[in-house]
Amino acid sequence: MKTTSDNSGDVRLSGISKTYGSFTAVHPLELTVPEGSFFALLGASGCGKTTTLRMIAGLEEPTTGTVRLGDQDVTHLPPYKRPVNTVFQSYALFPHLDIFENVAFGLRRRGIKSVKKQVEDMLELVQLGEQARKKPHQLSGGQQQRVAVARALINHPKVLLLDEPLGALDLKLRRQMQLELKRIQTEVGITFIHVTHDQEEAMTMADTVAVMNGGRVEQLGSPADLYENPQSTFVANFLGTSNLIEAEVDTKNGDDIVLRAGGGKLVLPEARCSAPTTAGGKVLVGIRPEKISLTHADDAGEIPEGRNRLTGKIADASFIGVSTQYVVDSPVCDELAVYVQNVERDGRLVPGADVVLHWSPAHTFGLDAAQSLLAGTVGSAGTEEEVAA
Amino acid sequence: MPFVTWLKRHLVVIAGLLTLAYLLLPNVIVTVFSFNKPKGRFNYEWQRFSTDAWKDPCGVADMCGSLSLSLQIAVWATVGATILGTMISFALVRYRFRARGAVNSLIFLPMAMPEVVMAASLLTLFLNMGAQLGFWTILIAHIMFCLSFVVTAVKARVMSMDPRLEEAARDLYAGPVQTFLRVTLPIAAPGIAAGALLSFALSFDDFIITNFNAGSTVTFPMFVWGSAQRGTPVQINVIGTAMFLIAVLFVLTSMVVSNRRNKQKA
Repeated sequence: MKTTSDNSGDVRLSGISKTYGSFTAVHPLELTVPEGSFFALLGASGCGKTTTLRMIAGLEEPTTGTVRLGDQDVTHLPPYKRPVNTVFQSYALFPHLDIFENVAFGLRRRGIKSVKKQVEDMLELVQLGEQARKKPHQLSGGQQQRVAVARALINHPKVLLLDEPLGALDLKLRRQMQLELKRIQTEVGITFIHVTHDQEEAMTMADTVAVMNGGRVEQLGSPADLYENPQSTFVANFLGTSNLIEAEVDTKNGDDIVLRAGGGKLVLPEARCSAPTTAGGKVLVGIRPEKISLTHADDAGEIPEGRNRLTGKIADASFIGVSTQYVVDSPVCDELAVYVQNVERDGRLVPGADVVLHWSPAHTFGLDAAQSLLAGTVGSAGTEEEVAA
Repeated sequence: MPFVTWLKRHLVVIAGLLTLAYLLLPNVIVTVFSFNKPKGRFNYEWQRFSTDAWKDPCGVADMCGSLSLSLQIAVWATVGATILGTMISFALVRYRFRARGAVNSLIFLPMAMPEVVMAASLLTLFLNMGAQLGFWTILIAHIMFCLSFVVTAVKARVMSMDPRLEEAARDLYAGPVQTFLRVTLPIAAPGIAAGALLSFALSFDDFIITNFNAGSTVTFPMFVWGSAQRGTPVQINVIGTAMFLIAVLFVLTSMVVSNRRNKQKA
């Protein structure tokens, strides 16, 4: 079932944009999705990710730019002439046809007569062989989702587009289907482009994630790269949680930048800073909550040298099983989030206790201070409630 | 006391049966009297059992001619109204055009207008145009008043249709024509069928509008009305009973078919 690798499954978007009247849904965009990869477009609703997907499918005509599949320019081809298939949000299964006919639809439209064997094999792949003669409404949400995938995959498209395919499923089923989709993708080796607003879903499944915001790609990279080294406050806040501390550039020391925050000094590797760093300029220092260690103020002397440190007072602690989540107020920044694994719990770390927060400079990242601190957080413009889930 | 308890328990069933009897009694009377052998010209009093009328349903002069005319008009009115009404429904749901809101409400005017008024104004219109009253004027009138019913039935169906289904079809290699034939039309079909059935029934038994615009042409309802003045032949009951039986048979067949289909699926 593996397709030959002649780059014919590469998707190249160049200068592609979409405007509706005076509203720009997608700003001119350059994007290359290599053949055989699992690519995710991640962003809140209204960020242009679905519009981008629909332009690849041919369901929207781009205002400018071109869409290329391998060597073929498909910008002006109607959807039924593109070697691309889509798994729609809420599946869009044909209610008047049974499961077999739903899956056979694409083959029949291309004039293929003997579809029985292929359809049965495909239903086997998604473990629905028994349900072939049922109507879509007789299946559960997860089964319908698998029919939608089978109906698209049976055509051996060069690219499979998935538009929020798991949005309608409950949490447990969603986890299961994420693994299932990943398994299918590995098995068939087709390029998958997956649109989602769920950062966890994107990180679990995709090799490469493009984070979109306001019709633009904010950052593109592997899930680990995006998480460990975000280059904008939007990415830092949208993917997981970040503590962002305003600081001032003091001096440069080899490959490191020394910053001043409140009275203390923080060290940031220059390679991990995406902002201009002139002496005296402002920079946002970012650190993920699980990278921070908490030590009671009485034991401050035991903290090794060379670590970034801040003092503070525990404002709140919530025990959630595997870890304890602390909120710490520090003179330089209120409400720092700290996640501590429940390995050896220090009984003194209760609300009101004075603590020292410390972490390795290698985990620190630097962002341009000219951005909103709240971009990408829940409740700020352009994001939706579900992001918190 | 046991009677009161029994009554309480079965009240819903009793009420249901009574309502059903209320609905069906006229049909039963029509059927029973189709086997009557009346003394005079009027078939209003039971005399004795006879199958004479059933053996010779067209025995009354002109009756079967008017029946066939009514059936023809009903068929053509159904075809015309269904095609036009379906296209109007799609236009109203799918496209944004000027005066769309006005068209949306105007289309229902024939349903709301008293039939006598519409009949009279249609006659005025036809006379002013110098049209010859007859088959064509009846047909035009019938298509006109059936249209709003078709639009009502089809529009509801088209509105509840997920536009993604058609996108999915296009995505799966169906061109515009294939998409319409394989997806749009089958999904809208129940609405279209409902509109068509309604049109047929409305056209077949329409009297008021037809009577105004028929000229010297006589449809079946007009024939029944006309003969009721001079005497009612038993054959009218025969035709009535036959129509009722055909309708019941139609419903039963479709129920059996869909039942069997569901059983196969399960």
